[in-house]
Amino acid sequence: MLDKVTAAVAAPLGDLRTIEKFLFNEVQLLDERRFEEWRDLFAEDGAYWVPLEPDQVSPEGRASLFYDDKRMMDIRFERLRHPNIHSQSPPHRTCHVIGNIIVETIDENLGECTVISNMIMTDYRMRNQRLFSGRVQHRLRQDGDGYKIVLKRVDLINCDDVFELIAVPF
Amino acid sequence: MRLDPEAIRALVHRDRVHRSLYLDQEVFDLEMHKIFGSAWVYVGHESLVPKPGDYITTRIGRHPVVLSRHADGKVYVIHNSCGHRGAIVCNEEKGNAQLFRCCYHGWTFKTNGDLDAVAMPRGYGKDFDFNNPALGMGRLPRVGVYRGFVFASLSAKGPSLDEHLGFAKESIDELCDRAPDGEIILGGGVHKYLFRGNWKLQLENSVDMYHVPFSHESTVRRSGKQFGRRAGEDSASAISDRGSAAQRWEQRSAWGARSSGHSYNGHQPIAEELPDDPLFNAYRALLEKRHGARRTREILTPKRHNTAFYPNMTLQALNQHVRVIVPVAVDRTEVHVYPVMFKGAPDEMNKSFVRHINMTHSAASLIQTDDLECFRRCQDGMNAPGSDWVWFARGIDTDKEDERGDYTNVGSGEIQQRAQYTAWLRLMSAEG
Repeated sequence: MLDKVTAAVAAPLGDLRTIEKFLFNEVQLLDERRFEEWRDLFAEDGAYWVPLEPDQVSPEGRASLFYDDKRMMDIRFERLRHPNIHSQSPPHRTCHVIGNIIVETIDENLGECTVISNMIMTDYRMRNQRLFSGRVQHRLRQDGDGYKIVLKRVDLINCDDVFELIAVPF
Repeated sequence: MRLDPEAIRALVHRDRVHRSLYLDQEVFDLEMHKIFGSAWVYVGHESLVPKPGDYITTRIGRHPVVLSRHADGKVYVIHNSCGHRGAIVCNEEKGNAQLFRCCYHGWTFKTNGDLDAVAMPRGYGKDFDFNNPALGMGRLPRVGVYRGFVFASLSAKGPSLDEHLGFAKESIDELCDRAPDGEIILGGGVHKYLFRGNWKLQLENSVDMYHVPFSHESTVRRSGKQFGRRAGEDSASAISDRGSAAQRWEQRSAWGARSSGHSYNGHQPIAEELPDDPLFNAYRALLEKRHGARRTREILTPKRHNTAFYPNMTLQALNQHVRVIVPVAVDRTEVHVYPVMFKGAPDEMNKSFVRHINMTHSAASLIQTDDLECFRRCQDGMNAPGSDWVWFARGIDTDKEDERGDYTNVGSGEIQQRAQYTAWLRLMSAEG
């Protein structure tokens, strides 16, 4: 296992330190409510997916908590900026922590790699603090000296729970 | 008993209901007994248990039940409770089993609820009757199915399911008829959300057209239009409170039953124009093959936008889903939203329906979250002293009685909620 990670670090596409910085920045944008900048991290064909079932095979034909392409993100964030969005008065505050970052696969031909991490997000609004956690899969595509997100999949450990309203992505 | 029928009658007037209906533990307990413990309650849909041995677990009020498909091919609604010591027998939300087995002492039950076998039976005395039906999980006294929708009643007495559904039944027909094979499938999973408020807030809201331009203000994009309501659409009709669009919402019809508590809102203006794309046209061709062009046009122009079946199920024709309301406590409610798929429709179309409900009704959606916030604020705010009442007076002077003895008015009125509280009062003040 250690050998595998070490090998991955050596490959430019799967450089762990670069990926780490990218992921830390990504969740920071969410915590700072810089939603439009977060959206810009996604590739044009990119998607953000939060399944509602453990081991859900596909977002097609089964309900998901989030399944946003970039167009949907535009609508979502335009709404989050609306002056009269009642569910965000006051807004949720969030804090993400990510760790256990592992470069899982590297595909030099596609210029893509898959990264697995564990995520904890607390959100707070009106005397109600919640704790979410889960496993995150990023498919990242090389883009200049950085990456674009092709897919961010978040498998919450309580994905099939009954949720109070959620505003900010995990 | 503090809440005798006379005290109950004092809580409901034609134009308002007392706030204790949302806040009082004793009222809630009585609702679980008199409404959820006696009326026809929606349990689930046949498509959730397609094969023998399939089951789902749910609740009728606070009462745990199993909806199962038995070896005889029929659906059963049984108590989710071991006939021995009462433990929950089916502990998963869904599954498939040949027999249900209790975790505690290993008693097994058939998937129709009958006792199958008792572990170590010789330990019971010779007079112990293993054929006593009370040792099974037990079936609910009455179960009825209409076009796949399964209802059950915890009471042996009362109107038939057909009488109970009445004119509202045609809302189920309208939805099912839109499937090329005439059946809907709830095969797209389920959204589940929770709010800290009374269950009736969701029921009222499901047929409330008055709130739309205000509660859902943030869904109106900068262009002044709401985001697309169908897959592929960029934006649909404006729901702002200015100009003609709001008047169009105002002009829609509403119907409220005389006594059953059901209600619906009429056709929504934004559903007026049918899509014209290859996928929709392929679907339309399937309907035309079965029904002909004229009837297809009718089917594709549903008259009813949304319908609330008292006390716990609603249908929406546009953001098409079946919604189930599960009261948890006086100030806590679960809601389950099942995207509707049409049997026989192109796969891509069913997928787009499911995807669309993610946007409108997931717990992280763009529409439902507005309502959840309003429910929370209602529950919280009602504690304030100053008024004892919640008002449903809108349109009260212009309600019209129709030929069935039910009532009609405009969609933005509150006849829908008045119908709900007529049923509430009838059930809650009933003797016994």
